[in-house]
Amino acid sequence: MTAKPVSTAWPDAAGPVRPQHAYLVCEECDAVYPARPVGSDDVLRCRRCGATLERGHGLPLNGQLGLTLGGLLVFLIGSLSPIVTLELKGNHTQASLLQATRLTWESGAHVVAVLSIATAFVFPLLMILLRLWVLVPLLRRRPPPLAAPVMRLLRWVQRWSMVEVFMLGVLISVVRSAGVSHLVLGPGIFAYMTLTVLLTAIHAAGLQGLWREISRPAA
Amino acid sequence: MNPRYPVAADLGVIACETCGLVLTAPHGAGRWRCPRCSHPLHARKPQSVQRTVAWLVAAVVLYLPANLLPVMATKSVLGRESHTIVGGIIELWVTGSRELALIVFIASIAVPLLKIAALTLLAITAQRRSSWRQRERAGLYRLVETVGHWSMLDVFVVVLLVGMVHFGVLASVEPESGLLAFGAVVVATMLASASFDPRLIWPHDPDKPVAHG
Repeated sequence: MTAKPVSTAWPDAAGPVRPQHAYLVCEECDAVYPARPVGSDDVLRCRRCGATLERGHGLPLNGQLGLTLGGLLVFLIGSLSPIVTLELKGNHTQASLLQATRLTWESGAHVVAVLSIATAFVFPLLMILLRLWVLVPLLRRRPPPLAAPVMRLLRWVQRWSMVEVFMLGVLISVVRSAGVSHLVLGPGIFAYMTLTVLLTAIHAAGLQGLWREISRPAA
Repeated sequence: MNPRYPVAADLGVIACETCGLVLTAPHGAGRWRCPRCSHPLHARKPQSVQRTVAWLVAAVVLYLPANLLPVMATKSVLGRESHTIVGGIIELWVTGSRELALIVFIASIAVPLLKIAALTLLAITAQRRSSWRQRERAGLYRLVETVGHWSMLDVFVVVLLVGMVHFGVLASVEPESGLLAFGAVVVATMLASASFDPRLIWPHDPDKPVAHG
């Protein structure tokens, strides 16, 4: 594998950029360590700065696929069913993430509506779908199409996905609105709780293992 | 002088900051991309300190309207009442949900202030190539990265209250302008910490002897 210079206008004097599998480099401080196999539940830490160098991949690909499919299922339940049902003097309302965002948009707070739908709905959904995009071909021993851009997008949406914060927000808004009306928890809240746990487990599996599988030459 | 750890530059290698692949460092000028993920390779993120400081300035400027302006209004037959972030915390406290009041205080007040203070410290010490408490600064950066997105809590709370409390004239909740500023502070501090390159905590000093073993 050789590197592609961005522009041919640059001098060609530089040598090819080749992978160096003998070393492990700390992403946070540049300290170099000899590469060594990491046990499945081991975490290798940088002696200089304390950052995680490498995490043993305890979860095989089909296990990751199971978690991700489970995540997709509870995500759909959580997004489509009401989080809570409220009652005030005979009037009933049901609240869900999409409905709350629509009402926020309609009351003029467009940027806030976009911000919350992106971080609590679009990015978590992409986190699940992009992982499936990579996992399914890998399990069938095929290279995933567009692997590099998909993996880079996956890394980005993981950073901006905030399901666990949204979950805590649900809890606090339930307590704050309890004084106004009578309130019954809906299936959405339990689905979102499960989703929080599943996404945390999926996130913990990391991207390093997927990168390794992608760059492994076809057998 | 204590011997230092061998670093990537000593061994002529470079680690891709996106996918972590270790590569032989290209010689001479030229912009190179990682062969695995095609992200541009650089030993340090370009203009990292400048971009961090720019986002920090934006966060500090927006911090005042975020906390002084109301983030939501409650409307009922009794009239219209505006609430700020601090008002919401006090309301939780006096209605007896003291644990939740504490959680919201930490997420909405303490975390943004901690992020702004910590990243300012990190940017200044990185700019001065300081070797003061490097390990602690590395830990501080990881803390900022970990807690960063929890400040979004109050944005979700207001959006959910808007969705939950809509009984027409009886009772309803509306978002107000402070919420936009508050959300912008959260995004700006997250971008500030994403712009900061933690490798700048460890300036490369090729003249210092390298430890072996």
